[in-house]
Formats: sequence, C-alpha cells, structure tokens
Amino acid sequence: MAGLAGLAGLGLSACGRGFGGGDDEPEGGTVQLNMVWWGDAKRAEKTQAALDIFQRKNPGITVKTEYQDSGPYKDKLATRFAAGDAPDLMAMRMDSVREYADRGALLDLTPHSGAVDLSGLSEGARTLAAVGDKTYGVPAGLNAIGFVINKTLTDKFGVQIPDGNTWSWADLSTFSQAVTKASGKKVYGTHFDAATLANLIVFVRQQGEDFYTADGALGVTEATMVAWFDLFNQMRASGAMPPAGFIEDVGASAAASYLAKGSIASQIIPTNNFLVYKEAAGGNLALLRIPGETQARRRGQSVDCPHLWSVASASKHQAEALKLLNFLVNDIDASKATGTTRGVPASSKIAEELKPSLTPDDQLATDYLIGLQGEKLPRSYTYPPGSSKIQSSLESIATEVEFKRQTPQQAAKAFLDAGRKALGK
Amino acid sequence: MLCVLGAVMMYPLLWMVSSSLKPSRDVFTDLSLWPSNWDLGNYPDGWTALEHPFTVYFVNSLVIVVLSIIGNLVSCSLAAYGFARLNFTGRKLFFALMLGTMMLPGHVLLVPQYIVFAKLDWINTYYPLLVPNFLATNAFYIFLMVQFMRSLPSELDDAARMDGCGPFRTFWSVIMPLCMPAFATTAIFTFISVWNEFFGPLIYLTDSELYTVPLALRQFIDSEGQSQWGQMFAMSFLSLAPVIGFFIAGQKYLVKGIATTGLK
Amino acid sequence: MTSGTTTGLPAGVVARDVPAAPRRRAKRRKDRAGYLFLLPWFIGMLFTVIPFFASLYLAFTDYNLLNAPQWIGLGNFREMLDDPLLRQSLKVTFIYTFVSVPLSLVVALGVAMMLNQGIKGLPVYRAVFYLPSLLGGSVAIVLLWKYIFGFDGIVNGFLGWFGIDGPGWTTDPDYALTTLIILHIWTFGSPMVIFLAGLRQIPTMYYEAAAVDGASRWRQFRSITLPLLSPIIFFNLIQSLISSFQTFTQGFIMSGGTGGPADSTIFYNLYLYQQGFSQFHMGYASAMAWVLLVIIAAFTALNFLAAKYWVFYDN
Repeated sequence: MAGLAGLAGLGLSACGRGFGGGDDEPEGGTVQLNMVWWGDAKRAEKTQAALDIFQRKNPGITVKTEYQDSGPYKDKLATRFAAGDAPDLMAMRMDSVREYADRGALLDLTPHSGAVDLSGLSEGARTLAAVGDKTYGVPAGLNAIGFVINKTLTDKFGVQIPDGNTWSWADLSTFSQAVTKASGKKVYGTHFDAATLANLIVFVRQQGEDFYTADGALGVTEATMVAWFDLFNQMRASGAMPPAGFIEDVGASAAASYLAKGSIASQIIPTNNFLVYKEAAGGNLALLRIPGETQARRRGQSVDCPHLWSVASASKHQAEALKLLNFLVNDIDASKATGTTRGVPASSKIAEELKPSLTPDDQLATDYLIGLQGEKLPRSYTYPPGSSKIQSSLESIATEVEFKRQTPQQAAKAFLDAGRKALGK
Repeated sequence: MLCVLGAVMMYPLLWMVSSSLKPSRDVFTDLSLWPSNWDLGNYPDGWTALEHPFTVYFVNSLVIVVLSIIGNLVSCSLAAYGFARLNFTGRKLFFALMLGTMMLPGHVLLVPQYIVFAKLDWINTYYPLLVPNFLATNAFYIFLMVQFMRSLPSELDDAARMDGCGPFRTFWSVIMPLCMPAFATTAIFTFISVWNEFFGPLIYLTDSELYTVPLALRQFIDSEGQSQWGQMFAMSFLSLAPVIGFFIAGQKYLVKGIATTGLK
Repeated sequence: MTSGTTTGLPAGVVARDVPAAPRRRAKRRKDRAGYLFLLPWFIGMLFTVIPFFASLYLAFTDYNLLNAPQWIGLGNFREMLDDPLLRQSLKVTFIYTFVSVPLSLVVALGVAMMLNQGIKGLPVYRAVFYLPSLLGGSVAIVLLWKYIFGFDGIVNGFLGWFGIDGPGWTTDPDYALTTLIILHIWTFGSPMVIFLAGLRQIPTMYYEAAAVDGASRWRQFRSITLPLLSPIIFFNLIQSLISSFQTFTQGFIMSGGTGGPADSTIFYNLYLYQQGFSQFHMGYASAMAWVLLVIIAAFTALNFLAAKYWVFYDN
C-alpha cells in the first residue's frame, strides 16, 4: 500500500489548490464578481481583455469568469440557480429569460437606470428583454438574420444575384432554381431551416401577425403556418432546395456548414456570424435582407441579440455587478476590446464610435444593423416560458412535413395545438 | 475477417489523425484520409491555444484518474467481497439497494447532489469527483467484482478457513490474487470513464486551471465562433493516447487469471 | 457453502474463539465482518441515498428549479398518462434495448472467443476492437458520424457503387434509430473486455481434461465455457439492460439533444433531460425517473429469477 499512498501524495502536491477548498473569496474589502457566458476560446480572449480594463478602472473589484459552449452552459446555469449558487452577471438566452425572470431569479433593471444607462440604446434594442414595465437584461450585442449568397458559386454558374433590398420569396425561388439547374444539381440554390424560430418569426411578422403576442400567447394563425410549410415543400419540389434528409444540422458551425462546403449557394445566418461564414466560404459572400420585406403587409425583420446580460436577483454584489454591466454596455474601451464577437454594440452611440476601427467586413454587418435600427420596425415580444417546448415541437413537425409524413395543413394544426398546450393558453 | 473488422474499427482514429493534420478550413472540404495540405502547426498551436497550456489539463486529468482508480479498486473490492463471499443480516436488501442506485437516471440526482457538495463547501474542488470513488458509490464495479468473486470455487474459502484465515486474510491472500482480471477491468473502465467524463467536472469545477481535458476540448468549439477544428482534432487525438496506452498496458493483467497462476 | 447459519461444523477462527459456540454469537461475528467490508459503501450511501430520496420527494411536487417545490401528490404521474411524447420515448427506448442488447452481447462474446484463442498479434486486435468504445462522445465523433452517415457520406458512397440511393441515415426519421443501433453494436468493446477477463478466469485444466476425453470444440463451449462464464454473461446482460434503458449520450449527440428527426430518437432519458433542464419541469422529470427505475427494476428482478435456471455459481 505504500506505493499507493505515495502516488496519492504526488497527486496532492501536483495541484494543491484544487484540494484546498472551494471558497476563494479574496480578503480585505475587495469584491469578487462571478460572471459566466458561453462561447469559445477566441471570444474568451476578447472578453478577458475587456475585463482587464474594467478591473484596472475599478481596483476594488475582481471578476472571475467562466465559459462553456452553449449547451453545457445552459445545464450548469440551471443547476447553480437551483442550488442557490447563482452567478452575479450572466449571459442569458433570449428564449430562457422569462423562465428565470418570471420566477423572480433575475434583477429588474428599470429602478437601476442610474447605475446602468440605457439611453444610448434604440427603442428596439432596449425592449428586447422587457416584460411589461420591467427589464431583465441588456443585449450583449445586436444582430439580425440576413441572407448570405456565395458569389464565387453564382459567378461560376453565371446566375445573377437579385437586389437584396427589394427581392421577394418568389425571387429567391427563381434564383435558387437557376443555381441548382446551372450546376447540374451539384449545388443547390438555397437552404434554410424551417424549424429555426428566428426564420419563422420574420415570415410571420411579414403576414402582419406576432408569433408571440404581448401577453405571451401564440399569435400566429394556422393559415400562416400552412404557407410556411408550403414554401418549403415547393422549394424542395422545384429543386431550389436540396431533397429531404440532405441537410444534417447537428453540430453546425460555419466551417462545417453546407455553404462552406459549397453544396448550397445561399442560406440565412445571424449577422454577427458574417465574418466567420465569409472566411469559411472562401471570402466572397454577399449579405442580403430576408426576402419579401418590400412586398409584405409590414416589415418582418427585427433587431435581435445573440444573448442578454442579466444580473441575478440573489447576487450579493448587485451594485458591483451593475457597474460591470454598465461598463460592458457604455464604455467604448470595452467594445474595442470585445469587438463584434457578440454582435454590434447595443448602444448606437458606441456602435458609431466603434465603426471606424473595424475591418471593412465588420463594418458591412454593422451598417446592416445600424440601418435596420433606423427603420420603423414593428416591436417584437419576449419568448414566454414554455417556448423551448414550442421550439422542439416545431423541429419535430417540420421534419414530418419534410418527409411527407404530414401535409402542411396537418402540420400547422398539430403545431398550434402543441404550442397552445405548451404555453397553457 | 478479423482484419476487415479491424479496419472498420480503426477508421475513426485514422480519420481523427488525418483531420488533425489539415488546416481548419480543409477539415470539412478535403475528405480524403491523406491530407492534400499539411498543417503540423495544429499540435503546437493547439497545445497553447487555451488559457492554460494543455500540460495543465493533462496533469489535472491524470491526477483525478489515478486517484479514482485507487479509490474504486480499494472500496469496491471490499464491498464486493462482503456481498459475494460473506453472509450477514440484510445482505440481500443492501445488494438490491446497491443495484437500485444504478437504475435512477443521473439527471434528477444532479441538483440534490450539487446541494450536498455545496453544503460541504466542495464546489470548485476535486472532492466531488474523487471522494465518492473512495466510498464505493460506483455500483457497476461492485457488481462486476461480485460476479467474478462468485464464480470462484467455494472450496477456496473453506480451505482458507481450515488454515485459520479470517475473512480479511482470505480476502487479501486468496481472493484478491485470483481476481486480477476483474481488477484490471475495473481499472481500465475507470480510466476510460473518468478520463472522458465531461458532466461532473463541468458542473463542479469553475476555475479553468482545475479543468480536465474534456472540458478544455470543448472550449475550442462554439457554434457562433471561429472554431479551431484542426487544433481541436490534434488535441483530441493526443487526449486519446493515454487511454490507449493504459489499455495496452492493462491488458497484460487481463490475462493473469487462474489460467496462468494455476489453481493450487 | 459459505452461508454461515447452515455451516454445521464451524471451522477455523470462528470455532476456536467461541468455545460455547452459540449460533447467535457466530452470526453476530459474521455480521460484523460483513459490515466492516461494507463500511466505505455505507458511508458512501450518504452521497447516493440523500439525492436518491430527494428525487423521490420531488417526483410528487411541481418543481421548476427556481422556486421551492410544491407538493402536488400524484399530479406528475397523472400527467404522464396523457403525454404522447412520453409514450413515444418509451417505444424508442424499448426497441433500442431489445434489439441492441442481445445483438451487441452476441457480437462481444463471439469476438472475445475468437480473441481468446492465442492468435498472432492478439494485444493489437484487442486494442483495435476496443477503440470505438474509447472514443466516447466527443465533439470530434459527432462530426465523424455525420461524415460517415451523411446524405453524401461514406456509407451512401459505398452503396452508390451498387447503384443504391441511400437515405439520410441520421436525418430520415425511418432510419435514424437503426443507425444508432448499428453504432451501439459497433462499440461492443466494453462487454468484450469483460468477457475476455471472464474467459481467462476459467481454469485451463477443464479444457485439458475435456480434450483428453475427445470433446469437440462446440461441446467444450456448451459444457465448460457457457456454464463457467454464466455469471459474467449474466453481469453483462444486467449491465447492458440497465444502461440501455438509460441511454442518453448516443441520442443526445446524434440529434443535438432534440431527439430528432421527428422524435424518432427521443430516448426516455433524453426526454427526461429536456423536461428537467430545458423546460424546467424537474418535478415531472423526477417522476419520470422513478417510473424508469420501476421498469428497470422489474426487468432486473425478472432476470435474477430466471438466473436460477441458467447461471452457475460454484457456491
């Protein structure tokens, strides 16, 4: 047994700290904030750079961060909240903000307007996390969805790219069929996911309906859902989109996308990913608006965000957490350090200030967002609790349609039934 | 036939090696196993790409793995001997309870467990990952050893008793040496499962300097980011090396059963 | 004959130390030895049993992780009766278990027997066959699967040589579960290693004696290998059954946690996870967990009963 004990001793010395106890709250008047978010190592570098500036400017506060990729992040966050061990400042998913806020877990920022100044944000950006007259977070950045087209492929097959400001859904279909035909089905014209809520929501808004209403109910009509599923069925039938089962979305990222592999010529992306996609697709990507905006009853696009920053209501250091939040939102140095990794800065003032220091591609995406915010867009409402169930029903039902196991009519009805049940309204 | 089967089994490893030698851009576009553009830089760059060099993560993982193996071997073999060869009041009930703990999905245990460890002030330490292993909480290994011990002839115990051995002597000098294959299996399985474990370290560790290899590997990838695929594959491959090495070393003991030591 | 109470003539230490030899005292001694060996396990119960019964309590509550649980009696169980997705998840889990467990055990035993016959390069083969089980559920492996089973992946490329248009193995609801079963069988390494260890435990003298008697290979397998390996076969069976009912990672990785396409891979445990962590219905998830426990316990008990007829212990 001596050998084993020796080994154990070795282990202990190898990482003494890990065995020394968990609570490493610093002594002597400094406050330690715990801030968590999701992302990868690149984003971590940029975030840490911003936090270093913050700690330099605020000697009494240290910030301990932690990050994972988004899936595990969500599980760990829920576990920590359940165990009463919530972080102070955290990245919050748009579709979970009300799951937490409605149960009193998040701090309402409205009474703290002195600490966190939101005056630089556009109306659309400020209301993203508003529930009634309360505000449960600030966008960590702004994005929207946009249509990207691989110009290398369209040039190769001699297909004209439509005018991205005025094109219709029919134009998209015609364009995509042309690509598919010219390539001899080696490249399909387009693909985007029928089950991605962001895509569907734009389409629903274009029909003059709110997907989620102000009081957290499902506002979309059956007719609109039928039209949505029909759109995909027609595009698949005409060859504008690849056949059923072609696209495998799991683990999707820019480099692994079909756009980067060159098997489709266009798709919808969140604009904050434009740079990454552009690089992955070989550097020649055009950014267009979502089709149908000028023909629709009203504008469908909206300003969105990759995630919010929220403060836990149970945080023991609220004042410091708000200070950090304010720094991230309103300090130009913070945005210079983080760049556009989480989208365009939420504050329009900061976004304008940041723009000159960005690369031309980054400026393109930033202009797209600044432009959108200047336009008159109908307001969108926060995802009500239960929306993750709606998301998973949509995924399942959209696949049923894709494989012709349900007609668009059946699917629309099934979706609305499931959705109403999930929301309890 | 074994060769064909072997080739199918080898494929994922070859693919991983080949991907680790390609520039990130080519991982998804260049589908051949033989890279058309070589990028050996994935190894040195990947090693230092994260907050800490991979040395830190490897050492952390190794420490946890080695201690877990020791813990499992000692505590589970004791419990298994009790269940398999001793007779005491409540044995069947306890055995059923032990099997029962294997049957409840871990997700519903997570929150209560976290609360227990938080009350002990063990969050952000290795204790939640290690201490349970020293306390025979892994029913799988107990059950495995029980089955091995029960398949040993009962004359062994009787003979030991005749020689004046108490239960502990019998365990130590008679049963243990004959259970080497079971212990080797336990050690190998513990190595693999602890080395690959993601969820436990994810939940209980917060400081990145305490992170294990699987946690670090996940930091290369995020669907929104500019993921470094080539580096991720390079480090994934390196992280397999200790497991494969341990398996090859451990197999030697898999074969050291009665077959070689003989039955006296 | 280790069973203490029936030992007619207590031998060794026990006999010498208790000259009066009242049975009760010998029994207490046995108890003490047993409990001593189980001591770590008893302490460890603190970590397993507290959460275990906490989850039982939660099964009867409405618990959203963020507010205190509210007692609702049998509410969760009643809700389960009227949950179509729960039924679908049970169906998926049962099909997966009853197809993949027997198949992977047969494959594992077959390969273990082959490898047990001193072929050249044995250690290499063993390692190679174990490889897929070593890979675990890393991100890299997800990509590999997509690459092999994708619409334009290797499998379909291979089928293409024979003029067959393959389906999307992971995207088509009619094929996704089959693909997962194939992948599961492919990772037969763990039961194989246990079988190998078990085979090594069989004393060679039995085979030598049988060979002297001129018994055929098949005969040796039937009369020596199978009975002597039966405790290990039994272990692998129980173990595979328990873990297969609780399948999570395979389904999670393949579908990115959705159980798709079209709920065709929504394993029971995956649905439980969605309920607990995505939809914040931890009370419902706990109720589901205890129902699963009852199902698994029932199958395990059935196997323990059946074991009397085919599992051979030497004591």
